[in-house]
Amino acid sequence: MTDQNDNFEALIQRSLAGDQRAYAALLQKTSRLLRPFLAKRLGFTTEVDDLMQETLISIHKARHTYDGNRPYKPWAFAIAKFRLQDFLRAHYADQLRHAIDFDELEENLHEAVTEPVISYESISGEVQKLPQKQATILQLMHQDGYTAKEVAEKMGMNESAVKVAAHRAYKVLKKKLER
Amino acid sequence: MENIDDLVARLAQDTTAVKPAPHPFMLSLQWMGIAAIYLSISIALSGWRPDILEAFHRPWFVAELAALLGIFIVTSVSAALLAFPDLHQKRLLALAPTWMFAIFLLILYFAARTDNPPVPLPAHSFECTLGITLMALLPAVWTFYFMRKYASTHYRLAGSVALLSAFSVGALWLRLHEETDSIAHVIAWHYLPMLAIGIIGLWLGKRLLKW
Repeated sequence: MTDQNDNFEALIQRSLAGDQRAYAALLQKTSRLLRPFLAKRLGFTTEVDDLMQETLISIHKARHTYDGNRPYKPWAFAIAKFRLQDFLRAHYADQLRHAIDFDELEENLHEAVTEPVISYESISGEVQKLPQKQATILQLMHQDGYTAKEVAEKMGMNESAVKVAAHRAYKVLKKKLER
Repeated sequence: MENIDDLVARLAQDTTAVKPAPHPFMLSLQWMGIAAIYLSISIALSGWRPDILEAFHRPWFVAELAALLGIFIVTSVSAALLAFPDLHQKRLLALAPTWMFAIFLLILYFAARTDNPPVPLPAHSFECTLGITLMALLPAVWTFYFMRKYASTHYRLAGSVALLSAFSVGALWLRLHEETDSIAHVIAWHYLPMLAIGIIGLWLGKRLLKW
Protein backbone atom coordinates (compact mmCIF):
# COMPACT_ATOMS: atom_id res chain seq x y z
CA MET A 1 0.00 0.00 0.00
CA THR A 2 2.78 2.40 0.94
CA ASP A 3 4.67 1.48 -2.21
CA GLN A 4 1.63 2.26 -4.30
CA ASN A 5 1.24 5.65 -2.58
CA ASP A 6 4.90 6.38 -3.11
CA ASN A 7 4.46 5.56 -6.76
CA PHE A 8 1.58 7.96 -7.13
CA GLU A 9 3.46 10.77 -5.43
CA ALA A 10 6.69 10.09 -7.29
CA LEU A 11 4.80 9.97 -10.57
CA ILE A 12 3.01 13.28 -10.04
CA GLN A 13 6.19 15.00 -8.96
CA ARG A 14 7.85 13.87 -12.19
CA SER A 15 4.71 14.89 -14.08
CA LEU A 16 4.78 18.38 -12.61
CA ALA A 17 8.35 18.64 -13.81
CA GLY A 18 7.09 17.97 -17.34
CA ASP A 19 7.73 14.21 -17.70
CA GLN A 20 5.04 13.12 -20.18
CA ARG A 21 5.57 9.36 -19.71
CA ALA A 22 5.26 9.67 -15.94
CA TYR A 23 2.11 11.72 -16.45
CA ALA A 24 0.55 9.11 -18.75
CA ALA A 25 1.39 6.39 -16.20
CA LEU A 26 -0.09 8.50 -13.40
CA LEU A 27 -3.36 9.09 -15.26
CA GLN A 28 -3.66 5.38 -16.10
CA LYS A 29 -3.06 4.42 -12.47
CA THR A 30 -5.49 7.10 -11.30
CA SER A 31 -8.15 5.83 -13.68
CA ARG A 32 -7.71 2.29 -12.29
CA LEU A 33 -7.89 3.69 -8.76
CA LEU A 34 -11.05 5.73 -9.31
CA ARG A 35 -13.02 3.39 -11.56
CA PRO A 36 -14.39 1.14 -8.76
CA PHE A 37 -15.35 4.25 -6.75
CA LEU A 38 -17.40 5.61 -9.66
CA ALA A 39 -18.73 2.22 -10.78
CA LYS A 40 -20.12 1.56 -7.32
CA ARG A 41 -22.13 4.78 -7.50
CA LEU A 42 -23.33 4.72 -11.11
CA GLY A 43 -25.53 2.19 -12.87
CA PHE A 44 -24.06 2.01 -16.37
CA THR A 45 -20.61 1.45 -17.81
CA THR A 46 -21.09 4.27 -20.31
CA GLU A 47 -21.81 6.72 -17.46
CA VAL A 48 -18.72 5.51 -15.58
CA ASP A 49 -16.59 5.99 -18.71
CA ASP A 50 -17.94 9.48 -19.34
CA LEU A 51 -17.42 10.54 -15.75
CA MET A 52 -13.97 8.94 -15.64
CA GLN A 53 -12.96 11.08 -18.60
CA GLU A 54 -14.35 14.25 -17.01
CA THR A 55 -12.50 13.40 -13.79
CA LEU A 56 -9.20 12.89 -15.61
CA ILE A 57 -9.64 16.21 -17.43
CA SER A 58 -10.37 17.89 -14.07
CA ILE A 59 -7.26 16.31 -12.54
CA HIS A 60 -5.29 17.65 -15.50
CA LYS A 61 -6.71 21.16 -15.01
CA ALA A 62 -6.14 21.13 -11.25
CA ARG A 63 -2.73 19.45 -11.17
CA HIS A 64 -1.05 22.69 -10.10
CA THR A 65 -2.99 22.49 -6.80
CA TYR A 66 -1.03 19.37 -5.83
CA ASP A 67 2.51 19.95 -4.59
CA GLY A 68 3.64 16.38 -4.00
CA ASN A 69 4.09 16.92 -0.25
CA ARG A 70 0.83 15.35 0.87
CA PRO A 71 -0.89 12.05 0.01
CA TYR A 72 -2.08 11.95 -3.60
CA LYS A 73 -5.12 9.71 -3.20
CA PRO A 74 -7.29 12.05 -1.06
CA TRP A 75 -6.60 14.80 -3.59
CA ALA A 76 -7.62 12.63 -6.54
CA PHE A 77 -10.69 11.27 -4.72
CA ALA A 78 -11.78 14.81 -3.77
CA ILE A 79 -11.84 15.73 -7.46
CA ALA A 80 -13.61 12.48 -8.42
CA LYS A 81 -16.25 13.02 -5.74
CA PHE A 82 -16.73 16.62 -6.88
CA ARG A 83 -17.29 15.55 -10.48
CA LEU A 84 -19.59 12.71 -9.38
CA GLN A 85 -21.76 15.12 -7.37
CA ASP A 86 -21.89 17.48 -10.35
CA PHE A 87 -22.88 14.64 -12.63
CA LEU A 88 -25.59 13.35 -10.28
CA ARG A 89 -26.95 16.85 -9.73
CA ALA A 90 -27.23 17.41 -13.49
CA HIS A 91 -28.65 13.91 -13.97
CA TYR A 92 -31.44 14.34 -11.43
CA ALA A 93 -32.17 17.90 -12.55
CA ASP A 94 -32.59 16.52 -16.06
CA GLN A 95 -34.88 13.78 -14.77
CA LEU A 96 -37.00 16.35 -12.97
CA ARG A 97 -37.29 18.40 -16.14
CA HIS A 98 -38.53 15.37 -18.03
CA ALA A 99 -40.62 13.99 -15.21
CA ILE A 100 -44.20 13.14 -15.97
CA ASP A 101 -47.04 14.51 -13.92
CA PHE A 102 -48.34 11.78 -11.60
CA ASP A 103 -51.94 12.55 -12.63
CA GLU A 104 -50.96 11.77 -16.19
CA LEU A 105 -49.15 8.67 -14.99
CA GLU A 106 -52.26 7.47 -13.20
CA GLU A 107 -54.41 7.93 -16.27
CA ASN A 108 -52.05 5.87 -18.34
CA LEU A 109 -51.50 3.03 -15.92
CA HIS A 110 -53.95 0.39 -16.96
CA GLU A 111 -54.70 -2.84 -15.23
CA ALA A 112 -52.52 -4.60 -17.74
CA VAL A 113 -49.47 -3.30 -15.91
CA THR A 114 -50.13 -5.49 -12.90
CA GLU A 115 -51.95 -8.30 -14.66
CA PRO A 116 -50.37 -8.47 -18.07
CA VAL A 117 -52.47 -9.85 -20.88
CA ILE A 118 -49.34 -10.07 -23.00
CA SER A 119 -46.50 -12.05 -21.45
CA TYR A 120 -43.03 -10.51 -21.15
CA GLU A 121 -41.55 -13.34 -23.19
CA SER A 122 -43.80 -12.61 -26.16
CA ILE A 123 -42.56 -9.04 -26.43
CA SER A 124 -38.99 -9.47 -25.17
CA GLY A 125 -37.71 -8.79 -28.69
CA GLU A 126 -39.35 -5.36 -28.66
CA VAL A 127 -38.10 -4.74 -25.10
CA GLN A 128 -34.51 -5.33 -26.17
CA LYS A 129 -34.86 -2.57 -28.78
CA LEU A 130 -35.64 -0.03 -26.04
CA PRO A 131 -32.86 2.16 -24.53
CA GLN A 132 -30.62 0.03 -22.28
CA LYS A 133 -31.87 1.53 -19.03
CA GLN A 134 -35.57 1.05 -19.85
CA ALA A 135 -34.98 -2.50 -21.13
CA THR A 136 -33.12 -3.43 -17.94
CA ILE A 137 -35.90 -2.00 -15.77
CA LEU A 138 -38.63 -3.91 -17.64
CA GLN A 139 -36.58 -7.11 -17.55
CA LEU A 140 -36.02 -6.82 -13.79
CA MET A 141 -39.66 -5.97 -13.09
CA HIS A 142 -41.46 -8.32 -15.44
CA GLN A 143 -39.09 -11.20 -16.05
CA ASP A 144 -37.23 -11.40 -12.76
CA GLY A 145 -40.18 -10.23 -10.65
CA TYR A 146 -38.52 -7.38 -8.75
CA THR A 147 -40.63 -4.53 -7.40
CA ALA A 148 -39.94 -0.94 -8.50
CA LYS A 149 -38.33 -0.29 -5.10
CA GLU A 150 -36.00 -3.28 -5.45
CA VAL A 151 -35.10 -2.27 -9.02
CA ALA A 152 -34.33 1.23 -7.76
CA GLU A 153 -31.98 -0.13 -5.11
CA LYS A 154 -30.34 -2.48 -7.59
CA MET A 155 -29.74 0.25 -10.17
CA GLY A 156 -28.84 3.05 -7.77
CA MET A 157 -31.86 5.12 -8.84
CA ASN A 158 -34.79 6.40 -6.85
CA GLU A 159 -38.11 4.60 -6.96
CA SER A 160 -40.07 7.29 -8.76
CA ALA A 161 -37.37 7.50 -11.46
CA VAL A 162 -37.74 3.75 -12.05
CA LYS A 163 -41.53 4.11 -12.30
CA VAL A 164 -41.21 7.00 -14.73
CA ALA A 165 -38.71 5.10 -16.89
CA ALA A 166 -40.98 2.05 -16.88
CA HIS A 167 -43.95 4.20 -17.81
CA ARG A 168 -42.09 5.66 -20.75
CA ALA A 169 -41.14 2.17 -21.86
CA TYR A 170 -44.79 1.03 -21.64
CA LYS A 171 -45.86 3.92 -23.81
CA VAL A 172 -43.27 3.09 -26.48
CA LEU A 173 -44.18 -0.59 -26.38
CA LYS A 174 -47.90 0.19 -26.55
CA LYS A 175 -47.40 2.29 -29.66
CA LYS A 176 -45.31 -0.43 -31.31
CA LEU A 177 -47.77 -3.19 -30.47
CA GLU A 178 -50.78 -1.18 -31.72
CA ARG A 179 -49.25 -0.88 -35.17
CA MET B 1 -16.42 10.60 -26.37
CA GLU B 2 -12.91 9.26 -26.86
CA ASN B 3 -11.79 6.30 -24.81
CA ILE B 4 -9.67 6.56 -21.68
CA ASP B 5 -6.40 5.50 -23.36
CA ASP B 6 -6.77 8.13 -26.09
CA LEU B 7 -7.62 10.79 -23.52
CA VAL B 8 -4.63 9.88 -21.35
CA ALA B 9 -2.35 9.99 -24.39
CA ARG B 10 -3.71 13.40 -25.40
CA LEU B 11 -3.43 14.89 -21.89
CA ALA B 12 0.10 13.49 -21.48
CA GLN B 13 1.10 14.99 -24.82
CA ASP B 14 -0.30 18.39 -23.76
CA THR B 15 1.47 18.48 -20.42
CA THR B 16 4.42 20.72 -19.69
CA ALA B 17 6.25 21.59 -16.48
CA VAL B 18 3.79 23.12 -14.01
CA LYS B 19 4.58 25.39 -11.09
CA PRO B 20 2.70 24.09 -8.03
CA ALA B 21 0.38 26.53 -6.29
CA PRO B 22 1.75 28.15 -3.15
CA HIS B 23 0.89 26.60 0.21
CA PRO B 24 -2.50 27.89 1.41
CA PHE B 25 -0.85 29.36 4.51
CA MET B 26 1.42 31.44 2.30
CA LEU B 27 -1.53 32.36 0.15
CA SER B 28 -3.60 33.53 3.12
CA LEU B 29 -0.59 35.37 4.54
CA GLN B 30 -0.31 37.20 1.23
CA TRP B 31 -4.02 38.14 1.36
CA MET B 32 -3.72 39.26 4.97
CA GLY B 33 -0.69 41.37 4.11
CA ILE B 34 -2.54 43.10 1.29
CA ALA B 35 -5.57 43.59 3.57
CA ALA B 36 -3.38 45.08 6.32
CA ILE B 37 -1.94 47.60 3.86
CA TYR B 38 -5.43 48.37 2.53
CA LEU B 39 -6.77 48.84 6.05
CA SER B 40 -3.86 51.07 7.05
CA ILE B 41 -4.30 53.29 3.98
CA SER B 42 -8.07 53.47 4.53
CA ILE B 43 -7.67 54.51 8.16
CA ALA B 44 -4.95 56.98 7.25
CA LEU B 45 -7.32 58.57 4.73
CA SER B 46 -10.51 58.43 6.80
CA GLY B 47 -8.97 58.94 10.22
CA TRP B 48 -9.13 57.07 13.55
CA ARG B 49 -12.18 57.41 15.77
CA PRO B 50 -11.55 60.44 18.04
CA ASP B 51 -11.73 58.36 21.25
CA ILE B 52 -9.54 55.50 20.02
CA LEU B 53 -7.09 55.55 22.96
CA GLU B 54 -9.93 55.65 25.46
CA ALA B 55 -11.77 52.88 23.57
CA PHE B 56 -8.75 50.60 23.88
CA HIS B 57 -9.16 50.76 27.65
CA ARG B 58 -12.61 49.18 27.40
CA PRO B 59 -12.17 45.38 27.68
CA TRP B 60 -15.24 44.41 25.62
CA PHE B 61 -14.26 46.75 22.79
CA VAL B 62 -10.80 45.19 22.73
CA ALA B 63 -12.31 41.68 22.91
CA GLU B 64 -14.70 42.53 20.06
CA LEU B 65 -11.86 43.86 17.91
CA ALA B 66 -9.68 40.85 18.73
CA ALA B 67 -12.51 38.47 17.77
CA LEU B 68 -13.14 40.42 14.57
CA LEU B 69 -9.45 40.22 13.75
CA GLY B 70 -9.62 36.50 14.56
CA ILE B 71 -12.53 36.11 12.14
CA PHE B 72 -10.55 37.89 9.46
CA ILE B 73 -7.47 35.68 9.98
CA VAL B 74 -9.39 32.41 10.26
CA THR B 75 -11.66 33.13 7.28
CA SER B 76 -8.60 34.10 5.20
CA VAL B 77 -6.88 30.81 6.03
CA SER B 78 -10.10 28.87 5.49
CA ALA B 79 -10.76 30.54 2.12
CA ALA B 80 -7.24 29.65 1.00
CA LEU B 81 -7.70 26.02 2.09
CA LEU B 82 -11.12 25.85 0.43
CA ALA B 83 -9.53 26.93 -2.85
CA PHE B 84 -7.81 23.52 -3.02
CA PRO B 85 -9.74 20.40 -4.07
CA ASP B 86 -8.80 18.40 -0.96
CA LEU B 87 -8.76 21.44 1.39
CA HIS B 88 -5.04 20.73 1.49
CA GLN B 89 -6.05 17.85 3.79
CA LYS B 90 -6.70 20.26 6.65
CA ARG B 91 -10.47 19.89 6.92
CA LEU B 92 -10.71 20.96 10.58
CA LEU B 93 -8.83 24.16 9.93
CA ALA B 94 -10.98 24.88 6.88
CA LEU B 95 -14.07 24.69 9.10
CA ALA B 96 -12.50 26.76 11.90
CA PRO B 97 -14.53 29.94 11.10
CA THR B 98 -17.52 28.22 12.75
CA TRP B 99 -15.68 28.22 16.10
CA MET B 100 -14.44 31.76 15.62
CA PHE B 101 -17.96 33.01 14.92
CA ALA B 102 -19.19 31.20 18.04
CA ILE B 103 -16.56 33.01 20.14
CA PHE B 104 -17.50 36.28 18.46
CA LEU B 105 -21.20 35.79 19.31
CA LEU B 106 -20.27 35.03 22.90
CA ILE B 107 -18.25 38.24 23.13
CA LEU B 108 -21.10 40.27 21.62
CA TYR B 109 -23.50 38.70 24.12
CA PHE B 110 -21.33 39.70 27.09
CA ALA B 111 -20.67 43.15 25.60
CA ALA B 112 -24.44 43.65 25.27
CA ARG B 113 -24.97 42.56 28.89
CA THR B 114 -22.46 45.07 30.18
CA ASP B 115 -24.08 47.85 28.11
CA ASN B 116 -26.18 48.94 31.08
CA PRO B 117 -27.61 51.56 31.01
CA PRO B 118 -27.61 51.20 27.19
CA VAL B 119 -25.65 53.75 25.21
CA PRO B 120 -28.12 55.81 23.09
CA LEU B 121 -28.47 54.70 19.48
CA PRO B 122 -26.75 56.97 16.95
CA ALA B 123 -28.82 58.89 14.41
CA HIS B 124 -27.57 56.88 11.45
CA SER B 125 -28.33 53.22 10.72
CA PHE B 126 -27.91 51.46 7.35
CA GLU B 127 -25.10 53.83 6.36
CA CYS B 128 -22.77 51.64 8.44
CA THR B 129 -23.70 48.48 6.51
CA LEU B 130 -23.25 50.36 3.27
CA GLY B 131 -19.85 51.71 4.35
CA ILE B 132 -18.62 48.26 5.41
CA THR B 133 -19.86 46.72 2.16
CA LEU B 134 -18.18 49.36 0.01
CA MET B 135 -14.98 48.97 2.00
CA ALA B 136 -15.17 45.18 1.53
CA LEU B 137 -15.56 45.35 -2.25
CA LEU B 138 -11.87 45.52 -3.08
CA PRO B 139 -10.78 42.73 -0.69
CA ALA B 140 -13.63 40.60 -2.09
CA VAL B 141 -12.47 41.19 -5.65
CA TRP B 142 -8.87 40.23 -4.97
CA THR B 143 -9.79 37.19 -2.88
CA PHE B 144 -12.10 35.83 -5.59
CA TYR B 145 -9.52 36.69 -8.25
CA PHE B 146 -6.87 34.61 -6.47
CA MET B 147 -9.26 31.79 -5.62
CA ARG B 148 -10.33 31.40 -9.23
CA LYS B 149 -6.75 30.40 -10.08
CA TYR B 150 -7.13 27.22 -8.05
CA ALA B 151 -9.74 24.49 -8.02
CA SER B 152 -12.30 24.61 -5.27
CA THR B 153 -14.51 21.56 -4.84
CA HIS B 154 -16.53 23.39 -2.17
CA TYR B 155 -17.19 26.48 -4.25
CA ARG B 156 -20.32 27.64 -2.38
CA LEU B 157 -18.68 27.46 1.04
CA ALA B 158 -15.48 28.96 -0.38
CA GLY B 159 -17.45 31.91 -1.78
CA SER B 160 -19.22 32.47 1.51
CA VAL B 161 -16.03 32.34 3.59
CA ALA B 162 -14.17 34.60 1.15
CA LEU B 163 -16.92 37.21 1.28
CA LEU B 164 -17.05 37.05 5.09
CA SER B 165 -13.30 37.57 5.17
CA ALA B 166 -13.63 40.66 2.97
CA PHE B 167 -16.57 41.94 5.05
CA SER B 168 -14.56 41.56 8.26
CA VAL B 169 -11.93 43.93 6.80
CA GLY B 170 -14.69 46.51 6.30
CA ALA B 171 -16.11 45.88 9.78
CA LEU B 172 -12.65 46.33 11.35
CA TRP B 173 -12.18 49.59 9.50
CA LEU B 174 -15.52 50.98 10.65
CA ARG B 175 -14.95 50.04 14.29
CA LEU B 176 -11.62 51.86 14.21
CA HIS B 177 -13.02 54.85 12.33
CA GLU B 178 -16.51 55.48 13.70
CA GLU B 179 -17.15 56.66 17.23
CA THR B 180 -20.14 54.47 18.07
CA ASP B 181 -20.47 52.64 21.34
CA SER B 182 -24.05 51.46 21.11
CA ILE B 183 -23.71 47.69 21.03
CA ALA B 184 -27.30 47.36 19.78
CA HIS B 185 -26.43 49.52 16.76
CA VAL B 186 -23.18 47.66 16.16
CA ILE B 187 -24.94 44.28 16.27
CA ALA B 188 -27.83 45.38 14.06
CA TRP B 189 -25.95 47.36 11.40
CA HIS B 190 -22.37 46.10 11.52
CA TYR B 191 -22.59 42.37 12.30
CA LEU B 192 -26.09 41.07 11.49
CA PRO B 193 -25.60 41.91 7.78
CA MET B 194 -22.81 39.29 7.91
CA LEU B 195 -25.58 36.68 7.67
CA ALA B 196 -26.78 38.13 4.37
CA ILE B 197 -23.19 38.45 3.18
CA GLY B 198 -22.59 34.77 3.94
CA ILE B 199 -25.64 33.82 1.87
CA ILE B 200 -24.64 36.10 -1.02
CA GLY B 201 -21.21 34.45 -0.82
CA LEU B 202 -22.78 31.02 -1.36
CA TRP B 203 -24.35 32.31 -4.57
CA LEU B 204 -21.23 34.18 -5.70
CA GLY B 205 -19.11 31.11 -5.03
CA LYS B 206 -21.29 29.08 -7.36
CA ARG B 207 -21.11 31.79 -10.04
CA LEU B 208 -17.41 32.60 -9.78
CA LEU B 209 -15.59 29.58 -8.39
CA LYS B 210 -17.23 26.69 -10.23
CA TRP B 211 -14.86 25.06 -12.70
